[in-house]
Amino acid sequence: MKKRGISYYLHIYGKILVQDIKSKMSYRADFIISMIGMLFVNISGFLVFWITFQNFPSIKGWNYNEILFLYGFSLVALTPAQLFFDNNWNLRHYVYSGDFIKYCFRPINVFFYFISETFDIKGLSQFLFGSATLIYAWNKLGLDFSIIILIKVILALITASLFMIAMINISAATCFWILGSVFILMLVNKIKDYARYPVSIYNSVFRFIFTFLIPIAFIAYYPSLAFLRQNDIPVLTYLSPVIGILFFYTSYKIWMKGASSYTGTGS
Amino acid sequence: MSKAATPSLSKYKTLTRAGIMEALTFRASYVISVLGNLVYLVVIYYLWKAIYASSNVDAVNGMTFSDTMIYLVLAAALGNFLETYLVWDIGYDIQTGRIVLNIIKPMDFQVYTFFNYSGKYLISFFTTFLPTFILVYLLTGGAIVIGINILFFMVGVILGLLINFCIDFFVATICLYTQSTWGINIMKEVIVMFVSGAVVPLAFFPEPLKTIVGYLPFQAIYNTPLQFLVNESLTVNKCIEMLLWQVFWMVLTLAASRLFWKKSLKIITVNGG
Repeated sequence: MKKRGISYYLHIYGKILVQDIKSKMSYRADFIISMIGMLFVNISGFLVFWITFQNFPSIKGWNYNEILFLYGFSLVALTPAQLFFDNNWNLRHYVYSGDFIKYCFRPINVFFYFISETFDIKGLSQFLFGSATLIYAWNKLGLDFSIIILIKVILALITASLFMIAMINISAATCFWILGSVFILMLVNKIKDYARYPVSIYNSVFRFIFTFLIPIAFIAYYPSLAFLRQNDIPVLTYLSPVIGILFFYTSYKIWMKGASSYTGTGS
Repeated sequence: MSKAATPSLSKYKTLTRAGIMEALTFRASYVISVLGNLVYLVVIYYLWKAIYASSNVDAVNGMTFSDTMIYLVLAAALGNFLETYLVWDIGYDIQTGRIVLNIIKPMDFQVYTFFNYSGKYLISFFTTFLPTFILVYLLTGGAIVIGINILFFMVGVILGLLINFCIDFFVATICLYTQSTWGINIMKEVIVMFVSGAVVPLAFFPEPLKTIVGYLPFQAIYNTPLQFLVNESLTVNKCIEMLLWQVFWMVLTLAASRLFWKKSLKIITVNGG
């Protein structure tokens, strides 16, 4: 098979995306309610911090605005997984029912084709709320700003998002081998919410777990240190782009291994 | 017992038993939910420890660190016990049209739904709430007083369960109009969990918010039964007053959900079958 360039894939992605948005738009009420629902989730997360800081001055040396920075950062970093990789949640249905076989017959990358089928619009309201929180905290903290810094932030956000995407890919791919994969997805989905807290609150055991085993510390904590604790940036912050890319690549390989071992259901 | 009464009772028992069997079949979900709860416990333990470390006083708004922990752990356990994914299930049934099969059953739909979930309630009470409660009781060395308050708690939990069920049922009915499940369900979940004090204890809510929340039915789901358990300063009169409030909310939510369902049945549309 001829190797195809990135522009070809972008072209295909655009076509599939438009179809998906068209079909979503036919359920307009659902679309609007989902957007508002997402906003509710984000606002309640904010209110938890707001109420906590009405009663307490700080969390392990992190003040209100710094915590909001972490929160906003984590929301934006979690958005790409929500927007572009949400079809992972449906993977098990296709695999168990046998419909997954249709993806195997197309002359394009299976992972790409499957993932591109869903664009989860409600992630956009999370992106907006997260960005607003991040900008608010940035202003309140009086951090410097320039184009270079903006590029740094964007790179840090993309790096951070790779960790969530990789975790979702791996947990969804477990459905190729086991039946109860949805519970693994739900567990990861629940744990991702804890990315908004500084990892320094845990003891060394849990710090290790949340850094290397369930790497939620890379979603907000380590990248944020590059902006909030500029005199004391840990090595892991510098290494996070490399770790992120490796982790994502590993998740892709696991997913593809599952897909290539897929034999259908015979129907 | 008359002959007519036996079969009519047995249909409820059958539904309950089916629910128990179903809950026992899905053991993997139980293991994962226990695992998820353990992670949650670890996170809130370290989080609130760090939060309390920043305060110079032991008790903030009358809540010490261990009070807060007991409250939040029991609230989480109660949350697991009460969560049945009812809105989700009914929403799915509406979208697939399968709901007609349940509506045409010779039984009130709301009653049918309740007994359909009753087995699940029973199982999850004994597998999640009770073990958590015993563990908390043992770990805290008797910080929870065992006395008449347990009785109040039992009644309070049942009333809370019914209020929660009626709110769920009301919200599920909205799905008939919107054909949207995820959004409706998540909004309900966020409001119930947050305003009921299951995420942050209501004692920490700043003043105008606290009063407003006090006038809403949601605090009667989690906060009232939990207060019976952890708040030793409650007098019997105060407890009875709180129970009466719960009864009030139960009657109100029950009436509202029944009325809304009855009105909405007329607009139901099912595409084919």
